[in-house]
Amino acid sequence: MTELLNIEGLTTQFYTEKGIVKAVQDVSFSIKKGETFALVGESGCGKSVTALSIMRLIPDPPGKIVNGKISFNGQDLLGLKEKEMRAIRGNNISMIFQEPMTSLNPVYTIGDQIAEAIMLHQKKDIEASWREAVDVLRRVGIADPDQRVYEYPFQMSGGMRQRVMIAMGISSRPDLLIADEPTTALDVTMQAQILDLLDEIQKEYGMSVLIITHNLGIVAERADNVAVMYASRIAEMADANSLFKNPLHPYTVGLLNSIPKLGEEKQRLMAIPGNVPNPLRFPSGCRFHPRCPICNNDSRCMATEPQLEEKEPGHMVACWKV
Amino acid sequence: MNNSNKKADWGTSYGELVWKEFTKGKLNVVCLVFIIMLFIVAVLSPFIANDKPYFIVIDGLLYFPLFKELKATDYSVFLASLAGITQLLLIRRNRRKLDPSLRGSALLRQVTVIAGVLLLGIILIHVLIPHRLDAEDYKTMITSGKAEKALFAPIPYGYARTDLQNRELPPSPEHWLGTDDVGSDVLCRLIHGSRISLSVGFVAVGISTIIGIFIGAILGYFGGRVDFFGMRIVEIMMAIPTFFLIITIVAFFPRSLFNIMFIIGITSWTGDACFIRAEFYKLRKQDFVQAAKSLGLPLKSILFRHMLPNGVTPVLVNATFGIAGAIFIEAALSFLGFGVAPPTPSWGQMLSLGVSTTGRFLWWLTLFPGLAIFFTVLAYNLVGEALRDAIDPRLRQ
Repeated sequence: MTELLNIEGLTTQFYTEKGIVKAVQDVSFSIKKGETFALVGESGCGKSVTALSIMRLIPDPPGKIVNGKISFNGQDLLGLKEKEMRAIRGNNISMIFQEPMTSLNPVYTIGDQIAEAIMLHQKKDIEASWREAVDVLRRVGIADPDQRVYEYPFQMSGGMRQRVMIAMGISSRPDLLIADEPTTALDVTMQAQILDLLDEIQKEYGMSVLIITHNLGIVAERADNVAVMYASRIAEMADANSLFKNPLHPYTVGLLNSIPKLGEEKQRLMAIPGNVPNPLRFPSGCRFHPRCPICNNDSRCMATEPQLEEKEPGHMVACWKV
Repeated sequence: MNNSNKKADWGTSYGELVWKEFTKGKLNVVCLVFIIMLFIVAVLSPFIANDKPYFIVIDGLLYFPLFKELKATDYSVFLASLAGITQLLLIRRNRRKLDPSLRGSALLRQVTVIAGVLLLGIILIHVLIPHRLDAEDYKTMITSGKAEKALFAPIPYGYARTDLQNRELPPSPEHWLGTDDVGSDVLCRLIHGSRISLSVGFVAVGISTIIGIFIGAILGYFGGRVDFFGMRIVEIMMAIPTFFLIITIVAFFPRSLFNIMFIIGITSWTGDACFIRAEFYKLRKQDFVQAAKSLGLPLKSILFRHMLPNGVTPVLVNATFGIAGAIFIEAALSFLGFGVAPPTPSWGQMLSLGVSTTGRFLWWLTLFPGLAIFFTVLAYNLVGEALRDAIDPRLRQ
């Protein structure tokens, strides 16, 4: 498999009145063609900002991509002009948002909104675009698509709206689909359906999916490769199998331990002590050390930041203790 | 897609909801009817008040002096209002009957056809109707027996006709609202003046709304430094007393109707800009705007297709108040003598005649134009207020 997206040393900062928020720092990973890559982490760890940086949708001001390289299909995205970037957004890279209830424009029918994207990227006329919109709605499993195209977003349920969002995202058969917490706002049965749908479409279209989530359950089943983010940095990165079977970073271990498992004896869930650090004042050294169970006030952990290193074949970890 | 023969229910539209809420108040409907009647009067004013007869028979020959005397602008007004009504009906029909996917293109087609017909009509009128000047007095032709038969408009006086024998007459059966200092019929001038007042209101508000939306959209969407400096300019504009600015500008330009519309328009956009800026500031962080951006839509589509319809309601309400304000400013300017030049009738200018002439106070010259201004402005303000309440979902039960 060839590389589709390659990110190197991405650093995105927000200049606020209180100081500089380093939302993403020195993040590097790559996504191959056709694979599912998962970015996992707690709220505020920089997952979404990474995704928005790829789309170059960081609000500027106050945000800015200060460093790094994002190459997509061999093209340097950060060097593109805004106009060239617009031709990529929605066409080669699409994005699905967390909140399906508010991601659709309330004043237009869903057909209108899908057709607009099709007209823009595929240069089709209005009637062909609407036919295509019906097809793509059928593809994402909306019953009666030739009736539903005329409906307004408020006439649909959350799960259906997320299907519509997916339809908009895949309408121009992108190479990369970024799904930013696509199921967080949905109920559990809907979550599974939406994820299955994403899986199906991914196989059919042969596109890559960057799935951003805090739900390790999703990752275990569907992702090929996983990166765990903590406090704006990648803590651990490996293929899904080895990450779940053999987590190396204490943070990943903590995350996995905090998931309730079926068939286990009832006891208190293991929680990671402490809180997510304030992005304005990250701890010195390893950012995880105040909460780390294996650090034991090691001076190296407290003083210098560990870099991502390949500890096992294909398994990268940023920890001094591993 | 092939369900055009099936009658689909597209649900209750937002417009229908607002309309229902709006018509709950009796006074709102009265005001709206008043405004619509004012419109009809303004459009048809040459037919209601004219010193030329619809037809006249002279020596057994039939003439149509009124139609011959109408100017190209009159015909343009008729055609434009006709086109406007057709368009409104078409939009309604489109909503009822047409496949929503085709509405946009159908509307475009209809607008093109109507605009084409309009253009053709205006050209034809210019070519076919020669401006034959008949400066004769048709009324004396009847009394002197020169003409056998004639049919006059309900108010058989011209707004530019002077009749020095009948000047400064109080209301009488002949002149229902009296005559002014040069003997023109006040009612006739009032009717023709409604055109001036309404067109000033609409064109000025149109100009100011377009400027306001454009500037507000840019400030609200980009925010940051653009917004900071933009808002300072807006604030400087707001700090200047508009009316005195308008008087100053008017002094430099010839007294034409268009100049007045334009000047009122370019000085009163600040309110609209602030409304739109505030709305866009709120909207730009919303998910659907992010989603539109992530689809790679161009800026103008994001700003004016996706954001504007979601934030335009305060501006629409403000526009109704703006029309009332513009009518008021025009009346005030005309009253002070900065408005349109006579004999073009304008309500404010008529108002000023009541006190300026021979020292006598001519109450009918003050009262009737004053009432016209008062009721028009009141009607617009009440409609604006009702619209604001109807649009606000928090007040809806």
